[in-house]
Amino acid sequence: MTTSSNPVLEVSHFNVDYGVGAAAVRAVDNVTFTLERAHVLGVAGESGSGKSTLAYGLTRLLRAPGIITGGDVHLHLGTDADARRMDLLAASEAELRAIRWKHISVVMQSALNALNPVRKIGKEFDEVLKTHNRSMSKSARKDRARELLGLVNLTPDRLERYPHELSGGQRQRVMIAMALALQPELVIMDEPTTALDVVTQREIVAELQKLRQELGFALIFITHDLSLLVELADEIMVMYAGRIVERAPALELYRGPRHPYTLGLMGSFPPLHGERKVMTGIPGSPPNLKDLPGGCAFHPRCPYAMERCTLEDPMLSPIEDGQRTVACWLHDPSVSAAVPVELRRKDAALAGEAG
Amino acid sequence: MRTFVRKLVIALITAWVTITATFILPRLMPGNPIEQLIGKLTGRVTPEEIAAIKAQFGQGLNEPVIVQYWHYLVNLFHGDLGTSITYSPQSVSSVIFGQLWWTLGLIGTATVLSFILGTALGVYFGWTRGARTDLFIPVAGFLQSTPFYVLGTLLVMIFAFRLHWFPFEGSYDATTVSPGWNWAFIASVLRYAQLPLASIVLCSLSGWMIGMRNMMVTTMSEDFVLMAVAKGLPKRKVMWHAARNAVLPQIANLTLAIGLLVSGALIVEQVFSYQGVGGLLVNAVSNLDYPLIQGIFLVITFTVLIMSAVGDVLYVWLDPRTRTATVE
Repeated sequence: MTTSSNPVLEVSHFNVDYGVGAAAVRAVDNVTFTLERAHVLGVAGESGSGKSTLAYGLTRLLRAPGIITGGDVHLHLGTDADARRMDLLAASEAELRAIRWKHISVVMQSALNALNPVRKIGKEFDEVLKTHNRSMSKSARKDRARELLGLVNLTPDRLERYPHELSGGQRQRVMIAMALALQPELVIMDEPTTALDVVTQREIVAELQKLRQELGFALIFITHDLSLLVELADEIMVMYAGRIVERAPALELYRGPRHPYTLGLMGSFPPLHGERKVMTGIPGSPPNLKDLPGGCAFHPRCPYAMERCTLEDPMLSPIEDGQRTVACWLHDPSVSAAVPVELRRKDAALAGEAG
Repeated sequence: MRTFVRKLVIALITAWVTITATFILPRLMPGNPIEQLIGKLTGRVTPEEIAAIKAQFGQGLNEPVIVQYWHYLVNLFHGDLGTSITYSPQSVSSVIFGQLWWTLGLIGTATVLSFILGTALGVYFGWTRGARTDLFIPVAGFLQSTPFYVLGTLLVMIFAFRLHWFPFEGSYDATTVSPGWNWAFIASVLRYAQLPLASIVLCSLSGWMIGMRNMMVTTMSEDFVLMAVAKGLPKRKVMWHAARNAVLPQIANLTLAIGLLVSGALIVEQVFSYQGVGGLLVNAVSNLDYPLIQGIFLVITFTVLIMSAVGDVLYVWLDPRTRTATVE
């Protein structure tokens, strides 16, 4: 792992369980990563891979029966002189309230459900601005709300609307504008475009790219659509059964996946750009967290599974001079078997042809 | 506007149907009010007297039903509900309105009070679900499932008969005060209303509370509540986000409850020997007092109609999703 120069979020050995005791299920397992200031980290995986649980766990927004059972999460607030490092897992409710939205904001999958149905959009903006900045005048708050809507290409008259009067894309833009209201260091987006049509998805991702260059916030973008991440993310983390199975710079991961699961994910989505390709998907279904297979959790669905995969769980280890990490026996130096060509190439034009 | 007109037309049709049903129902009962009245007279009744009674109260009862119906409609339109047979020579409207204030005062206050208290408690118990306060839920369930006449009678027995904390019957102390705008009378009314009021509130409170608590628990699992937490809002504001949405079904239920107010009065007034429309209805039915029965039914019907209209307006005001979207 590279030593971080200017991190905004440091996560180490982070675990989340659902339930306690014998019935407990581990949804996030030993996740460690560092997010640099103003960087975009993409988190990809199927449903149930623990990616959303990770997001809500990090922000201490987990609902019962989700429980954080271990690890450390540190948030770096402010810059240079007044920089401080805050232990998010040790923070009290009051401390959390103070940093919420001001330093970490969240965008959820369904903007319709995330907006209070009986409130005008303007009131939601007003409330957030007022809560975190008591001295701000009413007219200043209104101006700021208009300005924010402008950022996401919405006209100010939307402030007088109720959520049900907006389209899905408009609602999600409102959520994004709201997430940026207090200029937080970190924004976490949990499948923000999943409920939208492809054209709107595309527009929103383009807007996000622009906004992040202008405003310089760090972003954790969660999705199951890898091709979307390639456009947006600096780095991509792929999760399976609560663990990170591969992590690499976005473009390198896209051009040459190293984990068979990543390869499978790439074969499951059409790219936003580029030529058509045959969709392959991944055989089998996501694992039952209550009853994970022994060894590598992915081995029952893996076309390259060896005997060792059924016995021992591979660790997330650096490969290719530490440029990227992968948790797969195929890339272990002690394994004599040759790495399949589709998991070796540096610049795969068509990642989906394997399988 | 179109919605408003449609609602108005529906309300008018409903009103006509009930007005007609109100006319038909008492006439389906066995017996005849004149015979009932004559039966009550002691001694010999001459045919002339019978004719006089018929002329006074009959309101054309020997005319064909359709003509009676027409007269009924015309009189109703002029606000004339006829003369009560039991309470003659008082008019039906003055008899009803004399009692209506008692009913509205007691049961109306109790309904509003238990709604506000129950809803507030429901918000609190919903918010603290899973905590020790959940122990109140079975208690509330017990109170809700106990019929009012059982609990009410029990309370009268304990607090009025045994402990003598409250008077056990009547609406005011008729031996010492006389009705009117004087302090002694008002004080007496307030004193006599305490036990019935407390009993009704105790009985109906749990229904509101359980309903609100359950809605609160459901609403709290909505994303926008989690979002309110993520925004770093203080607890009471997060609670408000949830409560503001959870209260909507309660409002719909409240209009139903107010609609049942007058009919619910019947049992309450019997248990506490309190005066009001309920007792009046019992009297009217046992005396086959057609005009009075009709009058009371109409009052009940119009309370329901007006309250559901008020409820509709209130609901639209509280829930923007029910408003017809304006076309851009």
